Amino acid sequence: MSGHYVARRFATAAFTIVLIVLINFVLFRAMPGSPERVLARNPNVTPELLAQTRARWGFDKPLFPDQFVRYVAATAQLDLGYTFRGRPVADVLAQRIWPTVLLFGLGEAIAIVVGLALGAYSGWRRGGPIDLVGNGVSLLLYSTPYFLLGMALLLIFATGLGWFPTFGMSTTGATFANPVDWLIDVLRHLALPLTTVSLGLIGQYAIVMRSSIIETLSEDYITTARAMGLRDGRVLRRHALPNAMLPTVTLVAINLGYVVAGAITVEVVFNWPGLGTLTVDALASRDYGVLQGVFLLLSVAVVLANLAADLVYGLFDPRVRA
Amino acid sequence: MSASVTTPDAFGDVPARRRLASSGDLFRRLLRRPDGLIGVVILVTFGLLAVGPDLLVGPLQTAVTAVGPRLSPPSAAFPLGTDELGRSLVNLTAHATRISMVIGLLATAITVGIGALLGIVSGYVGGRTDAAIMRVADFFLVIPTFVLAIILTSIIRDLAGSGAREVFGIRFGLIAIVVVIGITSWSSTARIIRSQTLSLKERAFVDRARAVGAGNLHIMRRHILPNVINLIVANAVLVFAGAVLTETTLSFVGLGDPFQPSWGQLLDASREVGAPSLGAWWYFVPPGLCIVVVVFAFTLVGGALDDLLNPKRRQRR
Repeated sequence: MSGHYVARRFATAAFTIVLIVLINFVLFRAMPGSPERVLARNPNVTPELLAQTRARWGFDKPLFPDQFVRYVAATAQLDLGYTFRGRPVADVLAQRIWPTVLLFGLGEAIAIVVGLALGAYSGWRRGGPIDLVGNGVSLLLYSTPYFLLGMALLLIFATGLGWFPTFGMSTTGATFANPVDWLIDVLRHLALPLTTVSLGLIGQYAIVMRSSIIETLSEDYITTARAMGLRDGRVLRRHALPNAMLPTVTLVAINLGYVVAGAITVEVVFNWPGLGTLTVDALASRDYGVLQGVFLLLSVAVVLANLAADLVYGLFDPRVRA
Repeated sequence: MSASVTTPDAFGDVPARRRLASSGDLFRRLLRRPDGLIGVVILVTFGLLAVGPDLLVGPLQTAVTAVGPRLSPPSAAFPLGTDELGRSLVNLTAHATRISMVIGLLATAITVGIGALLGIVSGYVGGRTDAAIMRVADFFLVIPTFVLAIILTSIIRDLAGSGAREVFGIRFGLIAIVVVIGITSWSSTARIIRSQTLSLKERAFVDRARAVGAGNLHIMRRHILPNVINLIVANAVLVFAGAVLTETTLSFVGLGDPFQPSWGQLLDASREVGAPSLGAWWYFVPPGLCIVVVVFAFTLVGGALDDLLNPKRRQRR
């Protein structure tokens, strides 16, 4: 992996983040009436606070460069403004991020392992029973909005069978004798949303991995490996899988931005107290400060994940030079 | 497409003869595949339902015209049960089909329009224009466009108001969704069309057109566009699936219009009354199934078209 490649990846990521900050500035400051729109709707804003905020954001100064410079400087210091209730947006985000990381991180991990395994096997045994069933189910899962899957699971396993609680992250008002009981309670609440996120993602990953494996299997080096008399399992593990994995890594990373939408809605279905429910609540009350913060946070996270994927790709694929 | 053959234009007939595959031929080959046939049949069915829900189930029921009991399970009088206002789910789902399909269609038109235009220009012009357009395309490909779409939709509504104005029979608040889907999802179309344009512009017929004095605009419009039109159609089918999903999701987080319910809006309403926790499956299963079936059908057709148009993959099957 050449230094040039690394530098370019970093430059692209930096460019994207700059664009995101610019979009946030344009949408929330430069649009006609934006600052007033954000502030005037808030019943908790006193005239003093209004004046104070105006002075701090420099609304009396021209948009560019004064307001823009201030905005960028504030964002760089993680000063993302205030919510309707007057709390700093950054604090609220910091509080809500962990449930999302837990739900979404675990879901991604499960989906990557299961989805890639299913896809690889389907592609390897193309036309076999696992492939036909797996591919059909993957396509169906891919066509199902996450929240719909969540509502179905909620109906069957929580309302119908009563195996799992219907909402939240832990039982409200309950006190636990020891941490293990508390953990079990959280896990019971986590089960259904986690299943939803994983199932939703497995379909996508299996489809991508399957076509990648099929593509790889038609390469000359696979024919060569077979001609050398290598056993099937060895051809798959040593020759086909490593090469088929590479494009999948990039696709998984690129899909992250798309997948965020699903995560938001799953949280809403199960009332999971993460960034998704925060977004939808903020949307209902048009709390633009929060929406802006969520957009910034999620975008930067996705950009960094993509950067990491690109670097991993460069590390493993010797063909990547420029 | 026959227009280019009949026009007296000196270059008009060149792309017609050089066209890589005719659209009629493509459609016939699509129908010969099981996945293509099943997909097309499903889509035609939903298309017909979307054209005339009034003829089949009467006008959209409102809180005033609702006659049924509240949130009652399926019965002889209400085959799919009723919602919390006593409206028939048959009526609601049929009308939601129209709203969802029209929004999907409009959003697809905008998405594919922007994508094809930028893709052709990017690929044909090349250089800095190309680099700039592709940078922006990559940006939209990577960032969580859904969150951006949420913000854009509510800002557009704040600025323009969501009054009772209608475009194509769709209320303005929903048109905002259409525009936002178009703005945020054109990049994959642009990438696909660009790479096809890159290879097309090296062909002899483009050189020939240029040699006899055709301008860049003329070449893009009369020589490149006709040759990527099949690719655009195939991509549009997949874009439609995505547009339906995005509209559904936007409606589900509260950006739908209760006066013009789409499938997503029905799902949001059912969640708000707590249908899954109340065991009221009939409220969200009909619109939910419609979404899954329609998106599935579009994915089947899109995948089949992709196979037919991609010679590399066709060989390997």
